[in-house]
Amino acid sequence: GCNTHQVDADGDGKIKIIAAHNQTSPDNPYQTGLLKFKEVAEKESNGTIEVEVHAGTIGTEESQLVEKLQLGAADVIVVSPGFMTQTGIKEVDLFSAPYLFNSYDHWLQAVDGEVGNKMEEIINEKSNNSFKVLGYWTAGVRHYYGKKPIESVDDFQGVSLRTQTSGVVSDFWTSTGAIPSSISWGELYQGLQQDVVDSSENAYPFFVQQAHHTTSNGKYITETAHDYTTRFFLINGEKFDQYSEEQQEVILKAAKESIKAERESTLLQDEEYKKKAIDEGAIVNEIDRQPFIEIARPILNDFAKEIDVEDLLKDIYELDK
Amino acid sequence: MKRFVQALDKIQMIVGSIFLCIFFLVIILQIVTRHLGISIIWTEEVANYSFIWAILMGSSVMVNRREHFNFDFIQRKLTGAKGATLNIVIDLILVAFNIVIFLLGIQVVTEFWNYTWATIPEMKMGYIWIAIPIMAGTMIVYSLSHLMNHMKALKSGEVSS
Amino acid sequence: MAILLVGLFLILMFIGVPIAFVIGIVALLGIFGMPYTPEATVPMKMVNGLDSFVLLAIPLFILAANLMNSGKISEKLIDFAMSIVGPIRGALAHANILVSMMFAGVSGAAQADAAGMGKILIPSMVKKGYDKETAVAVTAASSTIGVVIPPSIPMIIFAGLTNASIGALFLGGIVPGILIGLGMMLFVYFIAIKRNYPKEKRVPIKRIAKLFLESLPALFTPIIIIGGIISGFFTATEAAAVASVYTLLISMFYYKTLKLNDLPKIIMDTLALSSLSLFALATASALGELMSYYQLGAIAQDFFVNNVGSSWIFILIVILFFLFIGTFMDAIPAMILFVPMILPTAIEFGIEPVQLGLIIVITLAIGLATPPYGLVLLLSAKIGNLSIERSFVAVLPYLAIILVILLLIAFLPGLAFAIPKWLNPSLFG
Ligand code: NA
Ligand code: NA
Repeated sequence: GCNTHQVDADGDGKIKIIAAHNQTSPDNPYQTGLLKFKEVAEKESNGTIEVEVHAGTIGTEESQLVEKLQLGAADVIVVSPGFMTQTGIKEVDLFSAPYLFNSYDHWLQAVDGEVGNKMEEIINEKSNNSFKVLGYWTAGVRHYYGKKPIESVDDFQGVSLRTQTSGVVSDFWTSTGAIPSSISWGELYQGLQQDVVDSSENAYPFFVQQAHHTTSNGKYITETAHDYTTRFFLINGEKFDQYSEEQQEVILKAAKESIKAERESTLLQDEEYKKKAIDEGAIVNEIDRQPFIEIARPILNDFAKEIDVEDLLKDIYELDK
Repeated sequence: MKRFVQALDKIQMIVGSIFLCIFFLVIILQIVTRHLGISIIWTEEVANYSFIWAILMGSSVMVNRREHFNFDFIQRKLTGAKGATLNIVIDLILVAFNIVIFLLGIQVVTEFWNYTWATIPEMKMGYIWIAIPIMAGTMIVYSLSHLMNHMKALKSGEVSS
Repeated sequence: MAILLVGLFLILMFIGVPIAFVIGIVALLGIFGMPYTPEATVPMKMVNGLDSFVLLAIPLFILAANLMNSGKISEKLIDFAMSIVGPIRGALAHANILVSMMFAGVSGAAQADAAGMGKILIPSMVKKGYDKETAVAVTAASSTIGVVIPPSIPMIIFAGLTNASIGALFLGGIVPGILIGLGMMLFVYFIAIKRNYPKEKRVPIKRIAKLFLESLPALFTPIIIIGGIISGFFTATEAAAVASVYTLLISMFYYKTLKLNDLPKIIMDTLALSSLSLFALATASALGELMSYYQLGAIAQDFFVNNVGSSWIFILIVILFFLFIGTFMDAIPAMILFVPMILPTAIEFGIEPVQLGLIIVITLAIGLATPPYGLVLLLSAKIGNLSIERSFVAVLPYLAIILVILLLIAFLPGLAFAIPKWLNPSLFG
């Protein structure tokens, strides 16, 4: 409609919030998180806030959701660092770097603490208040899975791995000796089965749902835990500023609850799908992460310098001491 | 006006065709390099964006050549002044639609100008979005020139009848 | 609101506004009526709709078909087809169908076939004493096989919308495509005897062999395309590019019928033809956004599961619905608008997406030859200089044949998918 920058269209003190993520499955943690957001916001506001949740229905591509948020066609979205980067905010890409966080607790301390606050300021400032961070969600922890188990770094030598083929992620894997390969997510099942790639990397719920662990090149899972993933839970900042103070408080509270629900649901699914993979014949091994961390360090340092977030990286390192 | 429209049609068709050739060659490059074991990361993105430019330019030329498919049974039944009037109504609808798309397109271009390409961060998304107002703008020019022709037909039709 | 928009859609379409623009205008006005969605969503969605790698296959397959036509390769195929079916009564009509089946293996669209082959075959059929109706009807009907036998642009669009495997859909189209062709030939056989259509002289086997060898490089194209996709050597989009390069090479260097300065015109023709359906795709994406905003897919699912409860009846409804839509809308926008709406229901009923895709593509193939919007019928009627009304009546029995095969495939999925599943189980994951 014509009055998208006016938040209260009918002037009756009520607002409607369009919340969207890109996953179509109803039991995805994103959906759990947004439904929680809706529940709390609607209850706490005594009906002055209405939340409409879209599970993939207004965009299955994260880039489209970001564009919609900026334009005002969506009010609250979930998006990964890679796509945020394309809005011209290069600093957010730090969160897609491998071995940035050492454990789930390390990640929690960072995003819920000073690091998270600083990132929030950067995003808000660089987007001219188009994006305001309501909190940090997660899409689980990513591991290697492939045709053979990894026992040491040397085992990566010459192994083709489906991952990002550019940037810091690619640089890291190249340094381990692996060969980053590009193949679309939809074609990966077939690719693993037909030997197009030797291996891939992702979080349990994602690749187990796609049955990648049942293929010959997806059977061995090594818990490399190279990426404790971050997802940005964003609201349109300009609209947020126009809401009444009570409504703003309700939204922030609902966001807090939704963060809790989403993270719990992700952790639960991580366990569930790991068990499912093992039950269905996948073989899981753990590995000493230290050698990988040492490979990642210099790459991370250079990368942080390049995107101008050396102070943030330092803060993150300090938290782990 | 007529010569201007002809030139515009020709230039736009050539620009569209060049983009078609670009994405064709880029896809070939992608196949070849992949089988050589080299990975060039920007091929898919360059191909997609050239494709968008090619199609939007081509669509506009098709407005000039009146090739977009429509049902013409009423147009065929109405002759003379009535037929010309109907054509004018259709031209006006196309002009109105494209003015709106042009303005909205400008809004989109300004909103997203500084977004970057995923694989070539030096490139701006504005270079892609701007194809929208260019398409709508040229469609307006073509529809206006049709409108002028139909007005002439209407006038001469009234004189002769 | 919805009724108002549907009414507006019909009025604009009826007075002669181009369909692609009608779709865009309705999308714009629909979004204008929504208080929380900015109108800029319309141009944004138009570009987003085009921003998909699989779509690049469309101009590339059209390019391959145009190269075949201008390179006179189609004429070689016609000669070869004639040499096989020559002794049968109604030879030219049989050849028309057979050559469409061969051409289908290169072309992903039906228009190129109707235009290219029709220009040669309709006049020669009329000259040999076939009535115009048969010449036009056989050409129009047989060219629809182009979207059933792989490669197929509608199948690519369907796969893009649903993440179904393109390879599986392509393989699934082979058997129904051949059955449709054979069914039409059987029908032609009977009317040829009844109306005493001519047959041709038997061609010596040596000559057939020679014609076969001459056609071989062209007949090899589908093998490259399908083989490449199935083996994972390249994707569907890349296959389209490879097909273009291959047809370019054979027509320039093997058949030597194409010159370098023919190329600009071929490229511009390709752009022109592709822009028409892809612009409709772009505006349909904007309208699709509106429909998906209202979550019509979930509504449809609720409705069908609660009120229909049988996957058989659901399939029949899908077929009837797309038969109706296909009469006035191109296959591409029709799928963009309605596939996302019915997919959740299909999944709920346990219908595999590839099976649904095959049913919808064949149904929409029928729409290619039904007025008011039936491109191959319009093209063939124009070439044959026959009215649309008479052409349509003549084409009806052929469409009935497609419908019979469609129902067979719909209710015996094994017929289409057994062989591909056996050949490459991984495609069906
Ligand atoms: Na085909
Ligand atoms: Na034919």
